[in-house]
Amino acid sequence: MVRQSGCSRVFTLALLLLPLSFSNALAHCFVGARFFPATLAIDDPCVADEFSLPTVAWSKTGDVPPANEWDVSAELSKRITEDLGISIGDTWSQISPPGGPKMAGFGDLETTLQYQLLKDSSHETAMLLGLIADWGGTGASNSGIGTPYSLLTPTFYFGQGFGVLPDQAGWLRAFAVTGQIGYQFPTTSYDVAQGTYIPQVLTYGGSVQYSMPYLKSEIVDLQLPDFINHLIPIVEAQLSTPVANNFGNSPVTTGTINPGAIWVGSYFQVGLEATIPVNRASGAGVGFLGQLHLYLDDMFPATIGQPLLGKSAPPQKLSF
Amino acid sequence: MRTRIILVPLFVMALATTAAQAHAFLDHASPLVGSTVPAAPHEVALTFTQNLEPAFSSVEVMDGSGARVDQGKAAISGNTMHIGLKAIGPGAYRVRWHALSVDTHTTEGSFTFHVGGS
Repeated sequence: MVRQSGCSRVFTLALLLLPLSFSNALAHCFVGARFFPATLAIDDPCVADEFSLPTVAWSKTGDVPPANEWDVSAELSKRITEDLGISIGDTWSQISPPGGPKMAGFGDLETTLQYQLLKDSSHETAMLLGLIADWGGTGASNSGIGTPYSLLTPTFYFGQGFGVLPDQAGWLRAFAVTGQIGYQFPTTSYDVAQGTYIPQVLTYGGSVQYSMPYLKSEIVDLQLPDFINHLIPIVEAQLSTPVANNFGNSPVTTGTINPGAIWVGSYFQVGLEATIPVNRASGAGVGFLGQLHLYLDDMFPATIGQPLLGKSAPPQKLSF
Repeated sequence: MRTRIILVPLFVMALATTAAQAHAFLDHASPLVGSTVPAAPHEVALTFTQNLEPAFSSVEVMDGSGARVDQGKAAISGNTMHIGLKAIGPGAYRVRWHALSVDTHTTEGSFTFHVGGS
């Protein structure tokens, strides 16, 4: 019942958004001369044909005393049309409290339906709408890693390159920012098993990134080593704040600030970030987050790198 | 499980290397992106990371007022574009390019170079 209701909302949202498209979509996140890499903690602002496998994270939880937590996840993103995409992912977690029994299992299956609202090449701007669904009952809810209830999070994503600045801005033009903000609500307001209310949560985050590929190809070629020219140093932030139905729970904002770097190749990227908790409730000490991310549209351009319905937009004959 | 997690992406990457092409990034240019050259060049040469489709790839060069200073038709072969320049003087010039790689991925970009000390 819950799934039917979720799917119905997803398709209704998609139908509502279809007429709003005015983008000229490309496969993964190119917007003019700007390439937004797939970020590790938050999502990039484009639909795409991509595969994150694996994403590995280690951290110490915010419990007292803290537990060691390993998370290994995978996510497949696929374009249905040029502007409509879906992703499906899951995470396997192992939590080891000091002196206590280990808990391990899969979290709830997560799907995201996304619609590309805008890709403005001349202004290096991208906007995306999404609906994230965590499907309750599909994970290890007995061990507390999954939940018996579902979570829905309508989310807005954006990306903005600084290449729109005048040439006088020089090296600053290689900067870009991305962000997302969503409102997460559960399909039930009370967790009977845990005896707690399930809060509605504002989820938000962003990234500041400096593109060495952009610096080299658009601003100045410093003839740096090839490895450096493929790097995008980045700082990501991922935060959540309970805003409603939070009776008896901690009202504090939790999240991490993640400095790191992404190496971008032709067919894949590799990212590595430190995860720094913003407060004690978010974790105890610095963890890490690493990801191998495959560009399916570049690896298999004629097959699974194409949208499921129709082909990519045909190339346009250039006027000069 | 960890073994599988490592093997699956390696398998996918191995499959992809058999026939894959990708987006064509600008690898390097002559004159260099953002450089100042002492004498006016006779052409601009761009080298990309992938082979190009000549019919759908192009380049133009403009002076500070936006006037074209290239000779019109680029020579495109493999992963390179060459375009001749008219006689140009000291100043700033913008190179604007579009590229379609042989697997139909499009990319675009622009950069400036300077001639002389201006």
